Amino acid sequence: MIKLKDLDFRLSTGFALNIDSLSIGVGEVFAIIGPNGAGKTTLLNILALLQDAKPANFEIGGRSALDRSGSTALRRSMSYLFSRPYLINDTVYNNIALPLMFRGEKDSGQVAEMLEVFKIAYLRDRSANQLSQGERHRVSLSRAFVTRPRLVLLDEPFSSLDARVKEAIISDLRRITRAARTTVVLVTQDQEEALALADVLAVIKEGRLLQTGRPETIFSRPASKEVADFVGVETMLGGEVTAASDNLCSVRVGDNTLAVVSACEAGDSVLLCVRPEAVAVSRSAEANSMRNHFKGTITSVEPWRLEYRLSIDCGFNLIAAVTKRSLDDMGLKPGDGIFASFKATAAHLIKR
Amino acid sequence: MDFILDGLLKGLSLIFGGDAEVYAIVRLSLFVSVFSTALSVAIGVPLGSIVAIKEFPFKKIVISVVNTGMGLPPVVVGLMAMLFLSRNGPLGLLGWLYTPTGMVLAQVIIATPVIAGLSLSAMQSLDRKFYLQMLTLGAGQWQALWVCLKEIKLSILAAVIAGFGSVISEVGAVMIVGGNIRHQTRVLTTAIVMETHMGNFDNAIALGLILLSLTFLINIALTYIQQQKARTE
Repeated sequence: MIKLKDLDFRLSTGFALNIDSLSIGVGEVFAIIGPNGAGKTTLLNILALLQDAKPANFEIGGRSALDRSGSTALRRSMSYLFSRPYLINDTVYNNIALPLMFRGEKDSGQVAEMLEVFKIAYLRDRSANQLSQGERHRVSLSRAFVTRPRLVLLDEPFSSLDARVKEAIISDLRRITRAARTTVVLVTQDQEEALALADVLAVIKEGRLLQTGRPETIFSRPASKEVADFVGVETMLGGEVTAASDNLCSVRVGDNTLAVVSACEAGDSVLLCVRPEAVAVSRSAEANSMRNHFKGTITSVEPWRLEYRLSIDCGFNLIAAVTKRSLDDMGLKPGDGIFASFKATAAHLIKR
Repeated sequence: MDFILDGLLKGLSLIFGGDAEVYAIVRLSLFVSVFSTALSVAIGVPLGSIVAIKEFPFKKIVISVVNTGMGLPPVVVGLMAMLFLSRNGPLGLLGWLYTPTGMVLAQVIIATPVIAGLSLSAMQSLDRKFYLQMLTLGAGQWQALWVCLKEIKLSILAAVIAGFGSVISEVGAVMIVGGNIRHQTRVLTTAIVMETHMGNFDNAIALGLILLSLTFLINIALTYIQQQKARTE
């Protein structure tokens, strides 16, 4: 659906966006994540033809997007939702019918259909000024889909919504885009939102695409320290591969040796990454299939998302995530001795 | 003090007495002011809105020029218009000097920056993303601009009121360009100046009353429309 090659775009602020290649397939939900100021919205604006960028190649739906004289026609094949829903000072019906009016089309039932799909039929004749934030988002979504666009661009569309409303809207959005095979490009800082919707994930930082791939790959196999940092890998240990056979590497980290499944070779200097949720903890040394066992001391216990985050001193600092219930059942507190373990497949090596 | 009272009484008699010359002056005043305001709106609103919405080099300088134009001294505008329209001037061939058309031209030069500047400011108060959102919904540039204008229509009406106010009460430019010729280019403001200079204070007061009443009535009408819209939003 989208092909972009050799983009070198500079804003008047001096911020530069450099993308060698970006390809988004038809019907794909492509999420772009990254910290503030990474260039996510700038990239989305370029895809929406709102920025005057000059990449070497730029195609949307098989049509060149380089010739700006056809911008309006190309934009009519897509919809773009900003983080804030910009509604006109009119009724909900007229807001949703607006894209049809711009195209000189008559409403032949599309507006009513969207009102039903997004469950806001009861708002049809209400003024946009009288809507709650959640309702405004639903009207904005209905308006974006009323022309059945082949491409939908979403710029942090749910950032201002509470969790319950957000979940319901994401569920509706997923259902509609899957049914219509709509290509979606979603920009977000919320990794859970990206995971809930995305088929493909791209991590962007300081105007560069750091990694693109399936969400589970990016979260478990980050390609660089920057990506690992952003996707929540908490344990990153510098070490050296001392032996490698059958993709099983022994990595020396200080005085400890850890086992990791990886294609690295002996002598490689690496960064060993372990996600907090991959680390299991117990009060006693248990025999299990995990290849990495360490005895350590809890140095801190902190709330983390909906769980708790333990820092464990095992000669190196290992971070583990446990549920509130496990924390209570095991009575874990700072200063306690504990056993921590993780699988060789749960760790990941990044060559340095 | 009697001359003020006399002036008021004469004014009322002129207003209600059916004086043909006074009516002709009122008609011309209204024609010149309404027509020049309409032209200024047609030029100033799109100009101000486009400058506000579009990104282009030297935008800040263009905005400064528009803002400077809002304070153009009418006498200087009149002088420049007269020089341009005079027989030897670059626009002398048009033959507009000492005609209502020339007066309209001078007033358009005065009112356009006022309307453009206020439209620009009103459009800048609207989040630029609103315009971009309209484009991404499939609007052409003019469609998007029109929807944005509808969003700020109260401020645009305020710009129209200000523009009309600047031309109906203006005297310097129309005096120079129009020449205050009886039955041809005499309008209320120039007539008031002339009567005052001649010591005919009663006539000057009478014409002043008419001018005030006209301005008041037209502003009431525009304000009513504006407030009706405000109430429905």
